[in-house]
Formats: sequence, C-alpha cells, structure tokens
Amino acid sequence: MKKKLLRNITLLSAGLLLSTGCTKDFVERNTNPASYNQTNFNPNYMLTSAELAYTGSTDFSYETWRGNLIYCSTFMQGFSTVIGYWAGDKYLLNEGYTSAYWGNAYSEQVKPIVDIVESTKDKAQYKNLNAIARILRALVFERITDLYGDVPYSEAGLGYYNKIFYPKYDKQQDIYNDLITQVTQATAALDAAGDIPTGDAIYKGDIAKWRKFGNTLLLRIAMRLTKADPDKAKTIVAQVSGKTLEAADDAFLTGDATGGRTTINRNSQVLLGDGGQENYYVKWSNTFINNLKTNSDPRLSVLACTQLYANDATKTPNASPVFTASVQKGMPNGLDFGTAGHIVSADPSFTSFNDYSSPSPYITKRNGPTFILTYAESELLLADAAQRFAVGGDAKTHYDNGVKAAITYLKQYDAAATISDAAAQAYLTAHPYNATTGLEQINTQYWILTNSMLDFYESWSNWRRTGFPVLTPVNFPNNATSGTIPRRFPYPSNEAVSNPDNYAAARATLTGGDLLTSRVWWDK
Amino acid sequence: MKKKLLLILFLPGVACGAYANGHTSNSLKKASGLNVRSAVAAAVAHSAYSAAPIKGVVRDNTGQPLPGVTIRVKGTAKSAQSDLNGQFTIDAEANDVLVFSFIGFNTQEVKLASGASLTVTLTESSSQLGEVVVTALGIKKERRSLGYSVTEVKGEELTKTREPSFVNSLVGKVAGLNVTSMSGGPGASSNILIRGVSSISQTNQPLYVINGIPVESQPGGIASYVSSKPNNNGGGQYDNSSDNGDAISNINPDDIESISVLKGAAAAALYGSRAKAGVILITTKTAKNNSVEFNSNFVAETIIDPTDWQYEYGQGSNNKAPVSLQEAFQSGQSSYGGLLDGSNQLQFDGVSRPYVAQKGNLDKFYRTGSTLTNTVAFNRMFDGGSVRLSASDMHNNSVVPNSGLNRQTFDLNGSYDINKHLVVNARANYILEQGKNRPYVGDGAGNPNFNAWFLPSSVDINTLKGVSNGAIANGNEYGYSANTYATNPWFAAENFVNNTSRTRLLSNVSLRYNFNGGGFLQGRIGSDSYNDRVTNIVPTGTAYRVNGSISEESTNVKDITADVLAGKPFKVNEDITITPTVGASYRRTRVESIVNSGDNFAVPFVYNLQNAISNKSVSYYPGDLETQAVYGTLEASYKSLFYLTGTGRSDWFSTLATPGKDNKLSKFYPAVSGSFIFSELWHPTWLSNGKLRAGYAGVGQATTPFQTQLSYSLSSATLNGLPLGSIANPAVPNNSLVASYASEFEIGAELGFFNNRLSFDMAWYHKKSKDEIVLAPASASSGYNAAVLNIGKLQNKGFELLINGSPFKTDKFTWTTSLNGSVNTSKVLELATGTDQLLVSTSRSGVGFTQQVVGLPANQVMAYDYAYDAGGNISVDPNTGLPLRGKLTAYGSAYAKWVAGFSNNFTYKNFNMSVLIDGKWGGKIFSTSDYYGYVFGLHKATLVNRTGNFGTTAAPINAATYYSNLASNVSKIFVQDASFIKFRSVSVGYTLPANLFNGAVKTATISLVGRNLFYISKKTDNIDPESSYSVFAQGIESGGLPTTRTYGLNLSVKF
Repeated sequence: MKKKLLRNITLLSAGLLLSTGCTKDFVERNTNPASYNQTNFNPNYMLTSAELAYTGSTDFSYETWRGNLIYCSTFMQGFSTVIGYWAGDKYLLNEGYTSAYWGNAYSEQVKPIVDIVESTKDKAQYKNLNAIARILRALVFERITDLYGDVPYSEAGLGYYNKIFYPKYDKQQDIYNDLITQVTQATAALDAAGDIPTGDAIYKGDIAKWRKFGNTLLLRIAMRLTKADPDKAKTIVAQVSGKTLEAADDAFLTGDATGGRTTINRNSQVLLGDGGQENYYVKWSNTFINNLKTNSDPRLSVLACTQLYANDATKTPNASPVFTASVQKGMPNGLDFGTAGHIVSADPSFTSFNDYSSPSPYITKRNGPTFILTYAESELLLADAAQRFAVGGDAKTHYDNGVKAAITYLKQYDAAATISDAAAQAYLTAHPYNATTGLEQINTQYWILTNSMLDFYESWSNWRRTGFPVLTPVNFPNNATSGTIPRRFPYPSNEAVSNPDNYAAARATLTGGDLLTSRVWWDK
Repeated sequence: MKKKLLLILFLPGVACGAYANGHTSNSLKKASGLNVRSAVAAAVAHSAYSAAPIKGVVRDNTGQPLPGVTIRVKGTAKSAQSDLNGQFTIDAEANDVLVFSFIGFNTQEVKLASGASLTVTLTESSSQLGEVVVTALGIKKERRSLGYSVTEVKGEELTKTREPSFVNSLVGKVAGLNVTSMSGGPGASSNILIRGVSSISQTNQPLYVINGIPVESQPGGIASYVSSKPNNNGGGQYDNSSDNGDAISNINPDDIESISVLKGAAAAALYGSRAKAGVILITTKTAKNNSVEFNSNFVAETIIDPTDWQYEYGQGSNNKAPVSLQEAFQSGQSSYGGLLDGSNQLQFDGVSRPYVAQKGNLDKFYRTGSTLTNTVAFNRMFDGGSVRLSASDMHNNSVVPNSGLNRQTFDLNGSYDINKHLVVNARANYILEQGKNRPYVGDGAGNPNFNAWFLPSSVDINTLKGVSNGAIANGNEYGYSANTYATNPWFAAENFVNNTSRTRLLSNVSLRYNFNGGGFLQGRIGSDSYNDRVTNIVPTGTAYRVNGSISEESTNVKDITADVLAGKPFKVNEDITITPTVGASYRRTRVESIVNSGDNFAVPFVYNLQNAISNKSVSYYPGDLETQAVYGTLEASYKSLFYLTGTGRSDWFSTLATPGKDNKLSKFYPAVSGSFIFSELWHPTWLSNGKLRAGYAGVGQATTPFQTQLSYSLSSATLNGLPLGSIANPAVPNNSLVASYASEFEIGAELGFFNNRLSFDMAWYHKKSKDEIVLAPASASSGYNAAVLNIGKLQNKGFELLINGSPFKTDKFTWTTSLNGSVNTSKVLELATGTDQLLVSTSRSGVGFTQQVVGLPANQVMAYDYAYDAGGNISVDPNTGLPLRGKLTAYGSAYAKWVAGFSNNFTYKNFNMSVLIDGKWGGKIFSTSDYYGYVFGLHKATLVNRTGNFGTTAAPINAATYYSNLASNVSKIFVQDASFIKFRSVSVGYTLPANLFNGAVKTATISLVGRNLFYISKKTDNIDPESSYSVFAQGIESGGLPTTRTYGLNLSVKF
C-alpha cells in the first residue's frame, strides 16, 4: 500500500514534468524582442550615432557644455562669461565638469566606434565602413588623450569583445604612435570600389573625401608632436602632403532640430539658453573681438552681434540684432557680479550686457553644422609644417589658402554668413604672410578659425602646442592654477572607484600631480 | 526512501517544470493544510441508536483541517486519531462525550447529539511550542517540529499605528529583520533585510508570499527588474526621480491575518532560487464567524526638521551680502555672505529686507499631512463554506504640498467544500492606487525637498512663492538662483506633475482533493496582474527646460505562478511517521513598458503629448522570464520528541539561456533540518518547554532577463533621416551565467519557563554564498557601465534573541514585554579576479560612495581621507594650500550591525497600552546634506575663520573656496554614525463594554496612536539617521523628505 502510493506519486510527478513546458522556449524568452543582434543589425546605424556623438552628447550636450564651452572656450579667451558655474573663465576646478568629457566620450563615442571596428572586421561587405570607423576611432581618441594625457586606449571600449572591464592607461606617446599606424592603414584600406557606408552623416559615404580626411587627420596628429617628436611629425607630413583636404571637403555634421536634444546642434542648444542663461551671459571674449576688430577682419560682423536681446531687464529676444563691426565689443574674461576688483559692472568696458558681442545667430542654429575637420585647418597646419620643417610645399601658399578658406568657409553656417573671396583676399593683402613671424601668424589664424568653428578643444590643443596667440591669463581670486592658463584636465575621480589600480598607476606618473596645471606628454 | 524519491525527481534528463501548483501541507501528525476555509458539515453517516462509527472533521479556528488529533470517548478506552484532512472515525453512542486533544490546542469536550454532523473547531493554546505557524509553501506546522527559526506577527500589530506601506510597521518587531523606510514620501519603497545583506549587488529584498502565492516586490517596481527599463531610483549619482514604491505596499493591512518571517535558508528552502533573501509569508483574513467589522484610522503627520544650520552669516559671497540683483542671483545657493546684522539688503526678488536669520524654512514649506483609512469587512459562514469581503479606502495628503496617495482595495476571499473530498479556495484582491505628484528625491532639479533644504540662511522660503506657486505672473518659474537646476521648491511642488496610478488584481484559486487515508493532491494557480501609468511633466517656464517636457508611461505586468503538490503520511509504527510530499511549480513573468515622451509645448501650459512638438520618442521595454521547479520533502517524526525534514528543489531558469549555447539552466537546492524536544524527556516544574533545533540548506538566485547576449536598438529620433543605432546593453552581457548558490547552517533553542511566563528563542546562523551574479561596475573606458559577472563570495554570521515575558498577570492588569535583538556580521570574501572593490552607489556629491570591499562587511560607506606625506602630515596643494585628496577609505557598513526592538503591552480592565522602542547600532551614513552644507556655507563647521584667509600667503583663498574644496577633497567628514534609539510607537486603547449598545455592537475599541515620535538618541547632525533616498543606495542620504512623526486615532467596531 505504502509502496504503491509512493510509486503513484512519483509517477504523477514525472508525468507532469514530461508532459509540459520544458526549457526549449527559454532562449526565446531570454531574447529581447525590442532589439537586434549582430546577424540582423546594420552597423551603419552605429556609424551615424558615433559621428553624432563626436559632436557632443545626446544627454543635453553634457560634455560639450562643460568641456568645450565652460572650460576650453574660456581658457582660449574665445568666450567670456559672468555665469558663476562657468569655472573655466576663472581657472577654478570643478571636478564634475573636467570629468564630463571622459565619461561621455567613452560611453557615447568609443563604445559605438569600437563596436563597428570589431563587428565589421574582415567582412568584405563592410570594408569601407570598417576603414572609416578606424579613422573615426583615431579622431575620437586623439581628442581624449589631448585633454587628459595618458588614457585607456588599446584596451578601451572592449568590454564586450575582449572582456576588459578595467582598461589600462596607455602612454600618450604610444597612443600617438598607434594613431598614426591606424589612420595610415585605414586610409590605405579605403576602396573606391567597395561599399558605400549609408550611415555616414559627414560625407555620405564619399570614399575619396574620406581618404583626404584620413590624411588631414594624420597631418593634425603629426603636427601635435612638433614639441615632443618633431622628426616623426616631419615624416608624416611628407607622407600625406598633396593628399589632404581640398576646398570643398570640409567635414561637418548637420544638426537636426526635429530630434530635440538627441540630434540638435550641441553648442547651439547651450548657447541659446535651453538650459540656463548662456544666451544672455555668454559673450565673445574681448581678446577675440579685439583681434578681429584691430585687423578689420571681415568675419567680425558675421560671427558677432550686439543687442541680441531687447534690454537687460526682460531679456526678450531682439528681432534685429546689430552686426555692425564698429560697435562690436568683447567682454573681458575673469569677471563676475560680486568679487571685489573683478566686478563686471565696474569694468571700464561695461555699459550693458546687451552691448557686449554675442555669438551670432548664424553660428548657433539648432540645425546648424558642427565642423569636425576643415580644409582651412589642413592648410594652416601645412603652412606651419612648411615653415617649421620645410616640408610639404610653400608656407605662404598654404597660409594664404588657409586664411582664405577660414574666412569663406563660414557660408556653410548660413548663407547670410557668406564672405566674398574678394573680402578674404583684401584681408590677406592687408596682412601678408611674413616668415619671421610666420608661426605666430599661422597659429593665430588657426585660433581664430577653430574658435569660429566653436571647436575650442582644438583651439586649446593647438595653443598648448604652439603658445600662439600669446594670451594674458586672468588672475581671479581663489583660482586653482596660480593664475596660469590650465594645460590639462585632471582625471575623473570616479576612476578611483571604477578602475582603481590603473588610475593609481597613471596618476603616479604625472609630474606635479593630477592637476589643471600638469602637462600632457606632447606639451613639453 | 528519500534518496530514491529525490533521485527520481531530479534526474538530469527530466529538465522540465510543470504548469502546476501545489501547496503543501502535510508534515507530521500535527500539521494542517494552509488553505483557508471554514468548517461545518462533514458528511457524516451515523446511527444515533447504538455504538456505530461516528465520522467527523477537526479544524482549527481558521478552518484548516487538523491531522493527528487524538479523540477519545470519555470514560472508555476507545480512541482514534484524525487523518491528514482532519477526518476521523470512532465508535460512539449518542450522549457520549468525545474528548479532542492535540498539542498546541486547548482540549475540548463535545457531547454527541443525535443526528448532528460533527465538526469540531479547536482553539490554539498559548503554549509556546504548541503554537502553529505558517511555513514554506503555506504549510502550517507546530512550532516544535521546526528545525529553523520562524517569527510570526499578527495582523493587528500592523493596523493601529499604521503606515501607508504596512511593511514599515515591521520595524523593531522581529529579531533579525532590519527595516528601513525610504525618504520618498507616502508609498515609497521599503528596505527589508533578513539576516543581513544576502547578495553583493542584486536585490536583497525578501520574497513575499501571499496565501501561498509568491508575489514579486522589487523596489522601484518590477518593470525595471524584469525588463531592460532603466531604474531611475537606482542609486546612481545623478538619479533624480521619485520613488514610486514597491508592490507589497499595496496590501491593505486590515486584510492581513498574520505574517510569518522565514529567516533562514532551511526555512525558505522550498522556494529555491527566490528564497535567498528570506521569505515573508502573508496569510490574509478569512471569515470565522458572521460579522461586520469596521475600522477607521486617522493620523496626522508633521515633519521633524533635522537641520542645525548656521545663522550668523547670510546669503552672499566673499563675506558680504549681495548689493545687486545679479549678485543675489549668483549667490542664490550660498550663505557665504556677510554677518547677519539686520541691515536692509537686496534680495533675489529686488526687494530689500532686513539681513536676518530665517529659521524654520522647512517647517514653513511642509504642511501637516494626514491619512484617513476606512475599512469595512463582511464575514459570512454558510453550509459548506465561508466568504469574506472587505473594502477599504485610504486618503493621504503628504507633508509635501500638492502631493499625496490614495488607495482603494477590495478583497474577496472564499472557500467551499464541493464534496467531502474536494475543497476549493479562491481569493481576489483588487487594488486601485493613485499617487499625486510623488516628489523627486536625490538630486536638485525639480525636487522640492532638495532646494527647500539648502536655501541661504537669510532667505525666507515664503518669499519664493512669487505671484503664486513659485511662479511669476506669466506662469514661469520664479527663479531665486543663477543655478537653473536649483528649482524653486514651491514651483517644483505645485507645477511639476508626477502622477502615478496603479490598477492591480491579485488572484488565486486552489483546489485540494483529500483522499481517504490522509493523502492529498492539491493544485493552485495565482496571478498578479497590474497596470502602472505614470505621467511626468516638466512644466512650461521651468528654468532648466523653459518649454517643458512630458512623458507618459504605461507598464503592464503579468506574473503567473502555479504549483501542484501531493503527499501522504505513512505510519511506520506507533512512534514513527514518515510523510513524503512532492510538487512542481511554474512561474512566468511578463512585463511590457511603453514610454512616450516629447519636449517643448507648442501652446504653453497645456500638458499633453500632442502638444509637445519636438523630440517625440517612444521607448518599448519588454521583459519575460520563466522558472520551472520540482521539489520534494520527506519528513519523519518520532513520538513528539524528534522531527527531521529533508527537502530538495531543482529550478530551471530562462534567464540563463543563451542562443547557440547549451548552458546548464538548472540548479539543485537541498535542505535538511530537525528538532529535539528535550522537555519531553526532562521536565522540571520550572521548565515548560525546551527545544533544540538545527538546519542546513542551499538556496540561490538567478538573474534578470536579457543578460546573456549583445543586442542593438534604435533611437526614436533620426539624424536628418539616418537611423541612430546603439548597443542596448548597459552592462557587458555574459553568455555563461550560472545561478548563484548560498548555503546556510543554523542552530537554535526555544525555552519556556514558569508556565511560559518567560520564554527565550535564540538562533545562530552562518550563511555563505558564492557565484554571485553581480552587475560589476566597469570603468567607463571599457565602453560599459558594468559587466554581468558570476563572481563574488559573501558571508553572514549572526545571532538572534527573542525574550518574551509576562511579569504581571492578574484578572484586571497584565503586563507583557518582549525584547528582540540581533547581531549580524557580514563579510565580502571575494570579488572579481584582480579587484577587491565593487561600486554599489554614488552620492550626488560625487565624493561619497557605497562599495563592496573584500574582507569587510557588505556595503561599505566610502569617502576620501586626507592625503598624508611620509611623515604623516596632511599634504596640501602647493598652489592653493588646500588639503589634497587622499585615499578612498572604507568607514563601515551602511547597514546596522545590531538591531533591537523593545515592546511592552499593558492592559488594565478595558484599557490597553503598547509602546515600542527600537534601535540600530553600528551602521554608517554618508550625509550628502552636510556636503552641501559645506559647499553652500550652511554647515556650522564653516563658521571657523569665516572672514579670514585660507591657503597660502602668496595665494590666499576665502572660506567659501576653502570649505567647498575641503568638502570635495576630504569627504570623510560627511560620514556619520547612523546609530539611534527611537521611540517608535505608542498606542492607548479603550474597549467599550460589550453591553453598551444592547449587544448590537459586539466589540468596539478606540485607540490613540503615535508613531515615529522622537529619537531617544542619535548621532547625526542635519539629517535623520534613517534617511535613505533609494533602496539601492542605502548608506547615502540625498534630497529626500524629512522624516515625519504621526499621531492619530483608531476606531475598530465589530457588529
């Protein structure tokens, strides 16, 4: 009886087990139906995201706001502001802001671009996509290492593919050497007969342009080494000479206002005051405006305007701001509302905020372009190389090409920002190239150019490399740099938590500490 | 036999669960099934004329059949025992007296009348070991037979000094239970830890089981747990969202009969992978008589302002008051101004006011909250069954203006005997809950709490009201600071919308067939199905998002659990009984969350999705998981002396499945426990009960769906027509996951002295887990936030003690007292290779963390120490003279090591009073409020050298720069001791005399209640030691509601 019942119970259980369910549906259960996998996804869609992310974060321009604008633009005396949290204008350290670029660059730029490189590796149908992704990966890492120095590079972004969760920090010198190798190889791999990457928002898959882009990127990477490794710089310039960007080849990405914060132009949404009062209190620096004004630069009345708002009190937009060059006036850096000796209203230049020059509406359109790499930059870098190393042609020719392009390219912002070739030529005629002050001339022009591109990261890197233009630092009370212009962003302190060993090792090699004043390798 | 059974059940090839369900039951002689139902009428055929077999059934007062009851015919030697279904047969004649006796119950005599069917209901005795408790799978067992610790809490303890979430009422009541309510307002999640932290980074919350059906209750909602939907209140640095609560808080405490806390693995082993954090069993009320019950409860609540800011210096910067409007704006969050000298000074609104201290801003901002709860219940018993219907309404106004929580619940609970073998039970619990403007916690944007907390010392919060509700005439935010993310608290409270609404049906049906001879077969199916709607609006005119935004979220959850169970006792001889039971269960949980959102309202102040004209997006978050299980138990008893139980369970998890990979999807969990009632052998007069127990078990934990493969998704937006792809996984997937495994050994003793006037229950346990599935934070430079890893070993050891006493007991006056206490020591034994730290949560300040650290107790509160040079001196930055940041250092666990509760109940005639004092010791908390107190110049410590210079002589810096840099560099100054002793609750009741209304009213009790009244001791400044804004960030305080004290009235009437 007992045995019989026990047997019945076990049979019953076994029957239940066999008659139902099983685990054959489990894989389906555990597959997210709202997603794709590597077999059915088009990696071109990742390319668009990666290109967009290079212009700034989908998260309300997170690092563009903090890194490019709050810090780099004010270090370079492109912009100036009295907004209290714009710590860069006063050389104050806000660790959250200096860390911002790091966090967003790795998660939004490195992650997708490494994924494309890895997932399209050795796939013939994605030959060009893979090569473009490798070029972009170099572009992405160049900026990261320029800002922070030794950073995770060779092991970065490989959390999935190589199961590396705590990447080591590579020496900047090694990074630069590999960037040169990578871009050289990738540019060579581009194949006019290969695939046309449909996700390319910059050149719409134009392989010839990408080849020139790759060479110009190599040029810029090489020229960064003029202090640290001039021989290498010279070699690479010779390698790419004659194969760099041409007049119609400017690389830019056009914002799309319909996508809101996800796709809007990154600099524009901050400068238009979408999240604060930047629209009112961020002005062109007097250093920048004075340069344009003194030299009767035709760019002045395109880049700057006053009376953007009706008056100080209501801050309602003014339908017709004033572009007249003669009334343009930059605001000095390092001022605020209440610090004795630095109060803006006590400055001799102060009349009202509305009288200071704002970035003009042409360059702050929500669906406007973000320039990534331009013909003008390319020519000015070639001019620098020619002057410095006597390679790659004639310095004056490149200088003239560069300056002209740096004036006329602005039409790509807006038709109303068009400056005639004649006006550009007139400017050149009035300010002819002079080899004895050539490097200062070239790099001051580079500074004006990259400021007008609102690529203040690049302005800062090139200034650190060349020391031009010569800028007078501000000396605001309580600043973190003893009144010197910062040379580097400190590492994000959360690396102490999320990557403690590699972070500690990298910090230990920094001479003088992990500070705004310590220098990256190429900035000897 | 046990081995054989398990072998059959767990043959590797038989890897399938079943749509089934079960309930347990059985156990030794004295167990009863769990199903709630009533008694009456067993089919009885007997003759009244002569000695003939009398048939009947014995049940307990909840209607459960009682097996093993001894039935004697008084004055004769004739006796019989009831079977597993409570049925018995005995030869007797009319007018004979039957004596029913059963350990744990009062002996009852019944005189046989003619023609009557016989159903006997025994009432439980107060003897400690005889107490019947609910155990895993809903099986009721006598306490003496348990080889592990179980603590019961009666429903009435949860209803008088009630809280919107009843689980918060468990604080201080159960040894080994650490209850923390979150600072998110009414309906926010609770953090319940049983025997310490059970998992390194997954949920530590216990499994809730209502009437035998497991109910998922994840903090932050099940949607983020089962689907890929991000959890906004997950303990990240920039989390700024409301705590929309867990699922268990929906239950109306008036419907709860009792709660059993299964603390250890041995107790909970039958729940396998869901039991790792312990189990809380809830038994709901059934009809036990014909009556109408009415309960009305009103409580008011006021905030306890914990801040002790400085009021010597006012708003401003550089040690002076603002003299211009812009300056007032720029220093809108700074109290580094001038001495409060009473002079007229310009404020942010352009008005000059005396520069004086403005204390009590929090009291001005928060209002008196109130909660009114009414419940009516109808009980009816009828031939063959019973039914209970209750309806309740809770109406809450939060202390935060324009915020509150309403809830209506309906509970229908019935049982019916279809025939003498077949019993059906069914329950449906329908819940409607509406949260109005649940306040944000964590960060400052849109969060009224955060910004009210940190107003400058000379700003009166009422001056921020503007024209109305914190807005200016055109309806835009009345900004008081240049930091647009410091939302005006009135504007945040009155204009932001964060409404939630939940419609939920919890239902279950069970069918049990009782075979003759004590065998049974039971099947059950339970369903938890709900829809959550959340409307979130950032209004037009918000400073940080001028044109506003909206999101509408709809989440559907369907959680189905089914099980079957069969068992039968076998009497080997007079002394030994063996009961095998086998069962299988199936669980399928599906979640579908759709979030529609958009920015920029075309027509200002009109809030609907159509009116949002840019960045329209749709996000879809599905989730699906299935678990199948088979299990069996074998129980043996020898007399009333020894009890031994062995169980085994195998689980199969869909969440471990990986395409193209033949993963091991199952895990086997064994358990064994036993008890020895030594007072049966040795019984001195002063010893009423004596029991020793021991148990060992394995339990585990699988993971959430979609963790095993890389997947891509597309954004709602396109870039000029080009789709935007991204990797959907926030964490690196892992295609080789296995379930984690925890084993726990426990021993304990239960002792009763002096007729149980004094009793002790103690337990010691040691729990170790391995292969923890951890969302290990990865360096951002890996491209991912985290990686899903099978790493980690964790250990918990502890001791629990419960002392009950009745020091005074007379007819008129009784005093009972209870003290429970526990100590738990956890230790993280191992993390991923190459790392000894694992981030859990980050303070908004960015300089306070909780982490797992190898070798230390779980959830360490971490902050930066000073940097020291070789000579041990504090290192400073040569440029500024500021102290440099040193090592990130562990300062202690976020969880208290010692937890205790002390309750006393007094009754005098018709009066009764109960008082609960509880305390926690040894936990640490990182005070984000103190960090901001330094940065904003509110903290009293920032008064030191306020007007002097810091830094170097060459580069002097002011107090504001010094203290805010100090706060960032040396954050250890914000780690505080969270120990406290709290006067938790008091209630004074009066029961009206029974004859007061001519018997129309059976009983009526009126009580005055008070809860969270005051701290007897605490060590934190400016914050409450129990503050925590997220279950996932315990140990970090940030931007939550201040705690409140409540007081009110409870009326309970039975007709």
